[in-house]
Amino acid sequence: MNGTVVKNQLIFDFASGILGPAKSLFASTYLELNSDASKIGSKFENMLGENLMDNENIHPKNLKYTDCMNNKNIKPDSNLKDPVTSLFGNLNNLNWKQVYKGFKEYAASIDDKDELKLIKMDPGVSVPLHSHGGKEYILVLEGSFCDEYGKYSRGDIQINDQKIKHTPIASKDTGCVCLSITEKDVIFFGKYGSFLNLFTFIKSFFK
Amino acid sequence: MEKSKLNNLMKQIQKDRDEMAFSQIFDFFAPKVNAYFIQNRIKFESSEELTQEVLSTVWVKSHLYDSSKSALSTWIFTIARNKKIDFLRKNSKINFKEEDIREFLYQDREIDLIEENEAKKQIERINNELDEQQKIMIKMNFFENKSHKKIADELEIPLGTVKSRIRHILTKMQEFLT
Repeated sequence: MNGTVVKNQLIFDFASGILGPAKSLFASTYLELNSDASKIGSKFENMLGENLMDNENIHPKNLKYTDCMNNKNIKPDSNLKDPVTSLFGNLNNLNWKQVYKGFKEYAASIDDKDELKLIKMDPGVSVPLHSHGGKEYILVLEGSFCDEYGKYSRGDIQINDQKIKHTPIASKDTGCVCLSITEKDVIFFGKYGSFLNLFTFIKSFFK
Repeated sequence: MEKSKLNNLMKQIQKDRDEMAFSQIFDFFAPKVNAYFIQNRIKFESSEELTQEVLSTVWVKSHLYDSSKSALSTWIFTIARNKKIDFLRKNSKINFKEEDIREFLYQDREIDLIEENEAKKQIERINNELDEQQKIMIKMNFFENKSHKKIADELEIPLGTVKSRIRHILTKMQEFLT
């Protein structure tokens, strides 16, 4: 499957409402930052709306339209919040955990099989060549990074699977902050590879 | 009922809080929304309560609907979907922390960024370019949220075929969605 299909699959699953909490938050932030993605989401919702329009009828037995006009549970005001801020607060005040020099992360406390975390890379810092056990989703929130496949700025996502080995480098000017989802721990290669693999292996005992 | 008629009824609700207009919207959508919940494996008793909440939301939050931005059915679909997520979250065996994030991710909001004409064109293309079985698969997968296994059982075709066909449809849909 090519990258666009995987990205769209994420958007479609979000529009259908079947994603777990971690991926829901990731996808909704993606749609908020990326107007192309948001447009695809709206188009897909239109299609699902057509399905509703043509859907079969199963009549409610004890429900009249007047029952829907005095429902006190529905409040007219909706108080929309930005998902990342609601979950993490101000990113500058977070208690970041340093993984190695120039590379920090902060894991969200969400009860889900997927792990959601923020990643912060100082300007020019790179991640050693690695691949992934499961899929990894990365969304750029601030700054940018590049790797063998291209440059990624605010609102861009990258989805990596087992086949992809890459060496991301944060922009020399701005560094970058990303939101990431990992389905399983990454596998490192190269000089510090075995050490980092051991590190993630040991870390998994303390989860 | 014609889409333009539904839109006019919605306008009457927005402008004059017209109860008769609402009763017609209710008659058209309540059975379809109720069916949506049942298709998503929610039991009849709960589906009826959820349908009540959806139609109540249409009445109370009618100001959030903008006919130049989306079809009424799209807006009502998103409300029903949000109620479904909320319901499944509350009834899940998993212990959610005090505030599950999905509660605020899927809030009722205006749908934006799509021009009415663009949406129309896109739906026409979907209708023209996908055959009947492909449309059914899309509906089962994304609207009724059935697993690939369940789809295979119901359509009596092998699981591998379902997976490859859905992948094919998604690839095809790139063309009209991007």
